Amino acid sequence: MANKGDLLLEMKDVKKRFGGAVALRGTSLSVRAGEIHALLGENGAGKSTMLKILAGVHVHDGGEITLGGSAFISGSPQASIDQGIAVIYQEPSLFLDLSLAENVFVGRQPKKGIAIDWKEAEAQASKLFKELGVELDPKRQARGLSIADQQVVEIAKALSMNANIILMDEPTAALSASEVERLMTVMRNLRAANKAVIFVSHRLDEVFAISDHITVMRDGATVSEKKIAQTDLQTVIKEMVGRELTELFPKTDHPIGDVVLEVENLTNAAYFRNVSFTVRKGEIVALAGLVGSGRSEIARSIFGIDSYDEGSVKINHKPLKKNSPIAAMDVKIALVPEDRRQQGLFMVAGVNRNISMESFSRLTGRFFINFKKERALTNEWRENLSIKYADQSDPVDRLSGGNQQKTVLAKWLATNPDLLIVDEPTRGIDVGTKAEVHRLIDKAAGEGKAVLMISSELPEVLGMADRIIVMREGRQVTELSRKEATQENVIAAATTGKKGI
Amino acid sequence: MASLFKRKALGREASLGVILIFAVAVTGFINPRFVTGDGTRDLLSATAIVALLAIGIAPIMIMRHIDLSIASTVGFSAWLVADTCAKNPSFTWVQCFLVGGSLGIVIGILNGLLVAGLRLPSLVVTLGTLYIVRGGVYVVSNSVDYNAQEMPKSLLKIGSTAFFGLLPVPFFLALVLMAIVAWFLKYTKAGRDCYAIGSNPPAADLVGLKVFRRTFLAYIFSGFIAGIAGVFYLMRFAQVDSTAFYGQELAVVAAAVIGGIGLLGGAGTAVGVVIGALLVQTIQGALAALGVDAFWKAAINGLLLIVAIYADRILASRSEKALLAQRIKERV
Repeated sequence: MANKGDLLLEMKDVKKRFGGAVALRGTSLSVRAGEIHALLGENGAGKSTMLKILAGVHVHDGGEITLGGSAFISGSPQASIDQGIAVIYQEPSLFLDLSLAENVFVGRQPKKGIAIDWKEAEAQASKLFKELGVELDPKRQARGLSIADQQVVEIAKALSMNANIILMDEPTAALSASEVERLMTVMRNLRAANKAVIFVSHRLDEVFAISDHITVMRDGATVSEKKIAQTDLQTVIKEMVGRELTELFPKTDHPIGDVVLEVENLTNAAYFRNVSFTVRKGEIVALAGLVGSGRSEIARSIFGIDSYDEGSVKINHKPLKKNSPIAAMDVKIALVPEDRRQQGLFMVAGVNRNISMESFSRLTGRFFINFKKERALTNEWRENLSIKYADQSDPVDRLSGGNQQKTVLAKWLATNPDLLIVDEPTRGIDVGTKAEVHRLIDKAAGEGKAVLMISSELPEVLGMADRIIVMREGRQVTELSRKEATQENVIAAATTGKKGI
Repeated sequence: MASLFKRKALGREASLGVILIFAVAVTGFINPRFVTGDGTRDLLSATAIVALLAIGIAPIMIMRHIDLSIASTVGFSAWLVADTCAKNPSFTWVQCFLVGGSLGIVIGILNGLLVAGLRLPSLVVTLGTLYIVRGGVYVVSNSVDYNAQEMPKSLLKIGSTAFFGLLPVPFFLALVLMAIVAWFLKYTKAGRDCYAIGSNPPAADLVGLKVFRRTFLAYIFSGFIAGIAGVFYLMRFAQVDSTAFYGQELAVVAAAVIGGIGLLGGAGTAVGVVIGALLVQTIQGALAALGVDAFWKAAINGLLLIVAIYADRILASRSEKALLAQRIKERV
């Protein structure tokens, strides 16, 4: 058992690349027994990569990791468990068909003779739940348990394995306020038992309420590591954002015309409530906020993929039928979804087939597809968007991420939409192509299209949008004009729900 | 009916038991012979092979896999054992089981290597081996059939013996196997691993369970049991040709699914599948008692399977909806 203050984990200049992409360029972290250590950073700062290295899922390429003085053995989840590291992922990975006691002891059930001693397992699990201050029935099936209770089971599992370093990846992302309070109590109990708790969170108010140390990461490197007393909310936000706005976003001013999209009191109880906004001709409106704040779900409801419980959607002042993508396409809405591989493209089909997919009606003769027209259409958009491919019929699977994204854009721009919805339009593509995608979106707005953009990348939001609607946990927190918006006030609204700092 | 769909193991088995008793009572009311000693013995004899096979595939199905090759293995085993006995008149029942069991193990190893080793989808792999093994019987049997006179007397005697005139030995053996497998699934680490693997395969990898070993051994077990079931086939019918037990794999899967093993894995018990097998057989017996043409048997099997899968789906979507409703409530 470690004593309070003992150095349990030390990471020095840890590096990790995935192919050409650098995920960690030199991260350091030191964590002591009896401490709650918050790990902060924007999306893509490298927090998850760091957790996964410690969990044994990835192996680091450079730098040093020591655990209580001895070198960390990397590369297998089992080895990490054996070294006293337990990871609680954002989505708990319980066995839903099994009892709670069994989930705690899976693979390590206590035995009496050759048989599993279920009474003992249940008694031990019950004791662990009590220690955590949450009385769960160990005989109960895990199915139907709330996320909060599932986390408690995961923590009990970690304790039963004698873990002394407990990593939590955004543990509060799916919790209600009272559940967050309970989790914090559990975390304090762990601290009192001289465990080291490392947690990733985007909710800065919670971070300041509970942690002893804060490490801020940016672009794969550690920016600062401070005691809680030595820092404050504004400093942390500045450290997270860090960089200056670059000239990557060639937004030009366009005349703004009549209202195209009107969303009123839109509610889907599971994801978002009372959302109201408009988008006008030639205008780019951004939905900003954290992953999971309900933005993509709003887009899905507008486009008719999902239904909604209350509210209305109007296009060009006419009500739009709910839950019908066909109706949405008939009134010229286009949706470029967040996951191009799963939702945006037919990966094994050719570039031409993907681009012409939504424009078939214009390409058919009396009965059959006119392939000449399809070729012409593909060429037209290849030139417009400078998509790079060897042959029109190449499966899009062979294209780079950036060219795939352009293909999805081409597919929808070819339908000449009045409203273009783009969800994370530049996720996972390189800087150069990013700027091109931004130019295309700007051009679409210049042609008088209304654009609704969802993005988790702040510089993109600030650089592109005429207006910014900030979402947090399914609610509209605030709406900022291009002039008003700064990195700080958008982050503050998205993470704390407060309109200003 | 609502309680029938409870996911709790005991609840499911108890409700199945109630339905079984109900089905037997109704059938007995229509045709009193069904509930006499003779009727009971017939029912249990007819159930033994399906029950045995359903217990055999239970671990595989709990792990979210399937084995469709079992009926072909039964056919091959039955024919091979009869053929061996015909050529070796001194063969005893013990040697019959050795031959049948060994053949089953070989087929199980093949399935296991393909599914656990190469991680190919089990539905396609065992559909393939279903045809390969059946094709094997067609080729080696060369249209030769065997009858009672070529089989060891000691073997046929086991098949026709019943304790107290009620409990046939083959069904009794199935009950013994049920008890062993039930214990194994509940009280051993390997048994519990089956449930964990079927419940959440990626998580099973993350907590370091031996997924390959468990899956591989489960296929060997299923193959072994199917080989043994081939000998049971000879005990019951005392004759065999190359089409023996053709197409019966779905009756076995139906029995397992009705008995509470979801196709999504992670749930089910050995006791449940035996009750499931009895229920399938009783319903067929009931239809026969009602005077429904025997030709309907296959169609009834298919119908039962769809009903069972539909019940399973209702179950799963209900618990999913309940979960979502709970989450929404927690957020508001």
